[in-house]
Amino acid sequence: MAQATIKERKSLSAWLSQEKVFRLIPFIMVEATFLLLLAVPFMLTIYISLLKWRANRPFEQAYFHGLLNYVRVLTTEDFWWALGRTFYFAGTAVFLELIFGFLLAMLAYKQFRGRRLYITIFLVPMMVVPVVGGYNFSMIYIDSGPLNQILSPITEAMGVNPRIRWLSHPIAAQWAIILADVWQWTSLTFLIFLSGFAALPQQLTNAARVLGASRWQIFWKVHFPLLKPAIMIAVIIRSMEALKLFDLSVLLTFGGPGTSTETIAFFLWRQVWQFNKYSFGAAASILLLFMFGTLIFYGIYLLVRERSIVEEERMG
Amino acid sequence: MKRIFLATLILMGITVFVASTAIAAMMVHPGKTVEERAINGAKAYIKKHNLKNPKQTMLLISLFKNSQPKYLRQWKKLTGVDMGSIQYGYTDIPAKIMAEAVAKTGQYDVINHFPYVIPDAVGAGTLQPLDAYMAKGKPDFTGIDSGLLAQQKYKGKTYWFILDGDHIALFLRSDIMKAAAKEYKAKFGKDPGCPDTMAEWEQMAKFFHTKKGATRWGMKFDQPLYGAQAYRSINFSYRHFPAYMGGLLFDKNMNPTINSPNGIRAIKEFTSIVKYMPPDVQGWGTPQLYPHWGSGRAFSFMSFPSAMGYANRNPKSKISGKQLACPVPAVKGASGKMVRRAPQAAGTGYMVNAHSKHPELAYYFIQWFTGPTQGDIAIADPAGFWDPMRMSNLTNKAVLAKHTEPFVKMTMKNAKNAISLLMIEGNYEYFNVLDKNMAQVMQGNISAEQAAKNVEKGWNRITDDIGRKEQIAAWRASVASGAYIDKFAPTN
Repeated sequence: MAQATIKERKSLSAWLSQEKVFRLIPFIMVEATFLLLLAVPFMLTIYISLLKWRANRPFEQAYFHGLLNYVRVLTTEDFWWALGRTFYFAGTAVFLELIFGFLLAMLAYKQFRGRRLYITIFLVPMMVVPVVGGYNFSMIYIDSGPLNQILSPITEAMGVNPRIRWLSHPIAAQWAIILADVWQWTSLTFLIFLSGFAALPQQLTNAARVLGASRWQIFWKVHFPLLKPAIMIAVIIRSMEALKLFDLSVLLTFGGPGTSTETIAFFLWRQVWQFNKYSFGAAASILLLFMFGTLIFYGIYLLVRERSIVEEERMG
Repeated sequence: MKRIFLATLILMGITVFVASTAIAAMMVHPGKTVEERAINGAKAYIKKHNLKNPKQTMLLISLFKNSQPKYLRQWKKLTGVDMGSIQYGYTDIPAKIMAEAVAKTGQYDVINHFPYVIPDAVGAGTLQPLDAYMAKGKPDFTGIDSGLLAQQKYKGKTYWFILDGDHIALFLRSDIMKAAAKEYKAKFGKDPGCPDTMAEWEQMAKFFHTKKGATRWGMKFDQPLYGAQAYRSINFSYRHFPAYMGGLLFDKNMNPTINSPNGIRAIKEFTSIVKYMPPDVQGWGTPQLYPHWGSGRAFSFMSFPSAMGYANRNPKSKISGKQLACPVPAVKGASGKMVRRAPQAAGTGYMVNAHSKHPELAYYFIQWFTGPTQGDIAIADPAGFWDPMRMSNLTNKAVLAKHTEPFVKMTMKNAKNAISLLMIEGNYEYFNVLDKNMAQVMQGNISAEQAAKNVEKGWNRITDDIGRKEQIAAWRASVASGAYIDKFAPTN
């Protein structure tokens, strides 16, 4: 009996010590974790999206509803408005963050006195907790607040009412959110571009200089193409985040005035937590996952393509 | 033979009646007052279940964080029940209630919120019906007007105890009216005072609306004086709109009544006065409106009743003692008659979590705290936001000292017209459709007629989604309870 057990143990350890089995273990662990953390909730969300369930009824009363929740989402006008608004906020904010981040990185990547201090200061907004940032901006934006005080000489000179209603005018409120987002997240694009600039091969710049290229030509013909992967990374990372915009919309305007700052994340929160439409919310989440996922994967495809072009050019 | 049989039957009936009355009387906890019975009920419950240092928790609206805790300490002294509180803003609490429906933790024993969370919470099974406990505690609701009282029930069962007559009212600047009385009378043939109708309120708003830097009635206005201010933002418009509607929002088959001449009139009146309000009003809630009113930059304010107390007591207020409280003005409602409807927009009360370990013990707290004596103490509390709601408040010196006699008289008069907001499932979604469309009209994006169509379509969609049959039943029951005062038109 004892001998048989020893034999079994030996064969088990021999089986485990095989290289292909040994290599398989981490793979199985990763897959199991993936299943547990991602696939199970995802499948559960899909399951709920196929039911008819409002939280104001017990789950036991939920029943199969087919794809009707998806149809409802797609035929809900507010869903499309919120989605459009989100793309508008995200597109504008990310565009401005890319420009400002790029300009700041251009300024900061060269050696000068106090460079480290400037870099630290530029990175601070990113480290501020979004709730704190949102609260601070709500103070800055109030009608008699500091922003209007600072802007009043300019607005008065332009003949515009110096009291811009940052949080209560539909268009101003949208810009208030965009600007707060730009303030907070330009730091991230700055950091990405700074690392991009730092990774530029000095020999290419020197070679271009020796060949008589002007500063603009060096930037446009040498630096910029090499920075394209960094730009793509910044676009993808920031777009992924910006499309989820929620905190600023809640903290600054609570989606108002009217619905002018209601983003898709806010719309979803309202449907689920205020209106108790769990299965509707699940269907909307799945649809958004596919929409945003397609965009992000397309972005990643562009990034990979860009990288390989840059690599080929370098090798060539 | 027949006679003997009948006599026996009657005798048996009388015996059963007397016995059941006696048993019922024996079941009632001892005590002369509502509060005593609640205290004795709690003590008996603790003894019966042999509870050592019982602890309970209240899900509390954060507005009451400075006033509620002392009553929780008092309850501990009286009964030994250590009632703590977890505080959230009132907009967050409905989500907490629904999360409790899923999680069933029993973390909160008592829930403090508005009555219109009841339909969804009952549907989800989070609220405990209180009727069985009421039979033992014998609470007393005399002196509370029917519109307020009806909100305690849903589908025939009691879930909520009221302690806050928070129906909207209108406040005017008495100092400005006094200064402008001559000019006003010359123009309109009457002294300025509480307006009879919404149209008259708008007329007053127009008259008193004054630009910055102007000098009128011997007064120099360094700041603009807005003719009116009121709640016109998302999450607030719906609380005020029923005052303009002056009738039921649905017919007896849950068909919306808003897309009608009366509904369109209501939308127009609701939105047209906005031109005399601060331009930011669509983004304002209480934290902005109250200080603005206190700063003296508006002539009139349609609001929750606590606005008057705020402006009288706040040390920074410039209008202390310069306010006139008025009942909600009338509109020509669906019936064609002039009616006043004061939505009970933010009246708070107390409920018991069905998942509480000791719901009966939690019940005794709410019976004690909302009782006629203890409730009046809370209403008179200078740190509290509980508004007068019982007839006894009219003679209670502490209540009169806090709220002032003219205000208490006005609010008790207004209570006769107090109506509930929608007491049906999915009410927040119905409210949101209304709010969004009112915002669109106020921003000039759509007409009142288009808004009426949109609201009708949106409301029908919600009704169908929840289940028209169930909604019709709940709606009919809530109309029958008198929660909205109005009844279905005979043609419906």
